[in-house]
Amino acid sequence: MGNLVMTPPEGTVMERVEQQVERPPAAEALPAFTFQVKNLSVWYGAKRAIENVTMDIVSNAVTAIIGPSGCGKSTFLRALNRMHELVSRTRLDGKILLHGDDLYASSIDPAIIRRRVGMIFQKSNPFPTMSIGENVVVGLRLNGVRDRKFLNERLEKSLRMAALWDEVKDDLDKPGTSLSGGQQQRLCIARALAVEPEVVLMDEPCSALDPIATAKIEELITELKSKYTIVTVTHNMQQAGRISDYTAFFYLGRLIEFGPTTKIFTNPSERQTEDYITGRFG
Amino acid sequence: MIASKHILGTFDEALASLRNNVLMMAGLTERSLERAIKGLHERDDNLCVTAIADDEEIDQLEKQIDKDGVDVLLRFQPVASDLRRVISAMKVSPNIERVGDQATNIARRARKLNRHPPLPEIDIIVPIHTHAMSMFKDSIDAFAREDADLAREVVARDTALDKMNKMANRQLTQCMADDHTALRGYLNLIFVSRCLERVGDHATNIAEDAVYVAAAEDIRHLTVSALT
Repeated sequence: MGNLVMTPPEGTVMERVEQQVERPPAAEALPAFTFQVKNLSVWYGAKRAIENVTMDIVSNAVTAIIGPSGCGKSTFLRALNRMHELVSRTRLDGKILLHGDDLYASSIDPAIIRRRVGMIFQKSNPFPTMSIGENVVVGLRLNGVRDRKFLNERLEKSLRMAALWDEVKDDLDKPGTSLSGGQQQRLCIARALAVEPEVVLMDEPCSALDPIATAKIEELITELKSKYTIVTVTHNMQQAGRISDYTAFFYLGRLIEFGPTTKIFTNPSERQTEDYITGRFG
Repeated sequence: MIASKHILGTFDEALASLRNNVLMMAGLTERSLERAIKGLHERDDNLCVTAIADDEEIDQLEKQIDKDGVDVLLRFQPVASDLRRVISAMKVSPNIERVGDQATNIARRARKLNRHPPLPEIDIIVPIHTHAMSMFKDSIDAFAREDADLAREVVARDTALDKMNKMANRQLTQCMADDHTALRGYLNLIFVSRCLERVGDHATNIAEDAVYVAAAEDIRHLTVSALT
């Protein structure tokens, strides 16, 4: 018979656990804000789509915007990079500061803002006449970058960040539209990341995707927040709960409640929020 | 307590069924506990046997509540107050089941006591039973009505029950020292008192969950002074 006497490991249980646990660095006491939105109102003609919204969007975090259709969440998102101005007869009141810069100051070029604040849409929209590679670097080319080595490096970096490199590295010359729906959406994310924005806005980025493609995008969003501030509009409550750090609930153009996602989804302060997220609306 | 209708009628039905099973389980447990105590005081073995038999139905309901709770979480992914309702139903039911176990324990001790001449010290158990039972009933009321104030009051009452149990232990230990012929009987009464004290502990747990449902507050492991 072998020796059945076991030597107890050295140290207390707690000491041994401490040796194996990797602790994240201590969080900063005060969050930094990427956007500071003050008394924002947006009109489409005579119709007010956003009414006096004030909120601060925390840097390197995911903020989800939820609310029923027509509540102004997409308008709010588009106001964050002046995209709403592409619709005629829009008017805006209030202030949006991006890292302290007034987005709507007369000296600011909207094109510069849209470079600093990238956007992903509900339906993936790769440029149909361009290859996968051209799609990613088109923003840089339009900005006058011609250095092939630099473009190739940025192409790989962006596709890697969008978790698409391994799937397309041998097919960079194929049309962007040859990819699956989920891959096309990640291609659009890579295209947005290629110009190194400060913020990525996402307008229901997974609503046209299957559960596996959705899971990949959600995982990607969680990874990207270490480098970018992300604001996403979603109709999917579970998705908002899974991926976001902060949640804002909009109703009839007004911001009803804004706070940490855990608080909003376990104990919202406002009755309207509670009714909406639990499915007792109207 | 659920104010307005869910857009999915099936969710309201599933949640109502879950909560009804919790309340039915509590009703059966209350009856079982009453039977055990009555069997003890009236020296009625039949009542004790019935109390012991009740436990099986209570156990089955606990399993059903767990199954239904998992089903609701899986099918509807509830959030906010709905999530708290499902979670608390699943947390309250094991505590009710443990109260049912205490009823069984009391019934078993009562059957042992019934084999020997009656002990007048059985009256020591009466106020402890009254106190523990009121805590249990009120904790269930607080859960059903989502009444955080009543639930907090139940939690605060546990200290008095602990004191009553300690006092009973002291008195019954003295009886054991004074009268060696009825050692087993006094020991069984000590166990009965202990079982009732445990009923109070479970009622406290239920009340804490009732506060979680009603006010989304976790009041576990707080001192009584911090509660008030």
